Amino acid sequence: MTMVSTAKVLHNALVAAGVSHVVGLPDNTSAAFFERLAGEGAPSLLRVTREGEAVALASGLWLGGASPVVLIQNTGLLESGDSLRGTAVRMGVPLVCLVTYRGYGKLEGPGSEPDAMTRADADSVAVVTEPTLRAWRLPYVFYRGDHDVATLQSAFLMAAKESRPVVVLIPNLLE
Amino acid sequence: MLTKEELLEPLAKLRTDEIVITCMGVVRPWGLLSDSDLDFASADSAMGHTADLALGVALAQPARRVVCLNGDGSMLMSLGTLATIVDAGARNLTLVVVVNGSYEITGNQKVPGEGALDFAAMARAAGFPNVYAFDESTIYRQALPELLRETGPTFVSVSVVPGSEGPISRGRAEASRYLRTSLRDWSHRFRRALVDS
Repeated sequence: MTMVSTAKVLHNALVAAGVSHVVGLPDNTSAAFFERLAGEGAPSLLRVTREGEAVALASGLWLGGASPVVLIQNTGLLESGDSLRGTAVRMGVPLVCLVTYRGYGKLEGPGSEPDAMTRADADSVAVVTEPTLRAWRLPYVFYRGDHDVATLQSAFLMAAKESRPVVVLIPNLLE
Repeated sequence: MLTKEELLEPLAKLRTDEIVITCMGVVRPWGLLSDSDLDFASADSAMGHTADLALGVALAQPARRVVCLNGDGSMLMSLGTLATIVDAGARNLTLVVVVNGSYEITGNQKVPGEGALDFAAMARAAGFPNVYAFDESTIYRQALPELLRETGPTFVSVSVVPGSEGPISRGRAEASRYLRTSLRDWSHRFRRALVDS
């Protein structure tokens, strides 16, 4: 199966899920999606200055009755740790967090070596991303491409059913 | 400088259906003045994330005024939120920064830049269309009705005498209703109050 991942399909999936706002910061993986979103106008795009701010802002949107998602890179996921813990998790917000997975392709090989956190051919943020999610007790699923729309839908269902944040890891470039 | 009572009591008297979001040293005093389902304490939460949370509520509830009572130490943790608020165009948000120059909850240790910081200048530089700074209670009280009415976002810096609030907990030992339950319970109750009204 090809791993095509397009901004259009992700956008349509978020619209179908009833998402009102996308709150976040772009990276290389998500840049095409942000450009598409800015052009479409819906869901509303809210730009923030740091990722923890995205989580708190999204939690506030939910408090007010909206249905936001967060879209950040895994580096920003680490930055947003206390905000996730203290707002979305502590408040019981059914928040889907779309997290692009920088360095995923280097996880096997250099990323699995004992010195992965310091060697030049590994990406340290990828090494700690999933262990961090497990430590933070955040459930996560993978969205590897257009064929994973059903997985994305399952993340929304889990977040709503359990009233908690669910992370969706996006390892492949959104074209 | 104002006392905390001089800051909060006029707001409690004027308040009708506005949403009020509190943090740190004003959480308990506000909870003793107000018992509304539209009060939200950013307590047992994440320090530095009250203004951004309030922005979210304001954007989701554009027909209501949202008043955020933030601390200066908390504001310093997320100064970028000033830019985000302006960029998002939250016309119904009044952001009040309670400037006491200290981390009151932990014993009034000084914040970095205490006495030298100009929050109103920061807000102006971030592009807030309405910016006010008060250090005298009569002038503040006279201006307050307009601060709750005008098209925002509105930024208000108020110099307040440091208080003596200790760490804020949640549970039955707390006097105010919005602290007598978990953050999760109150969040869901608060959301229902907004969505159902």
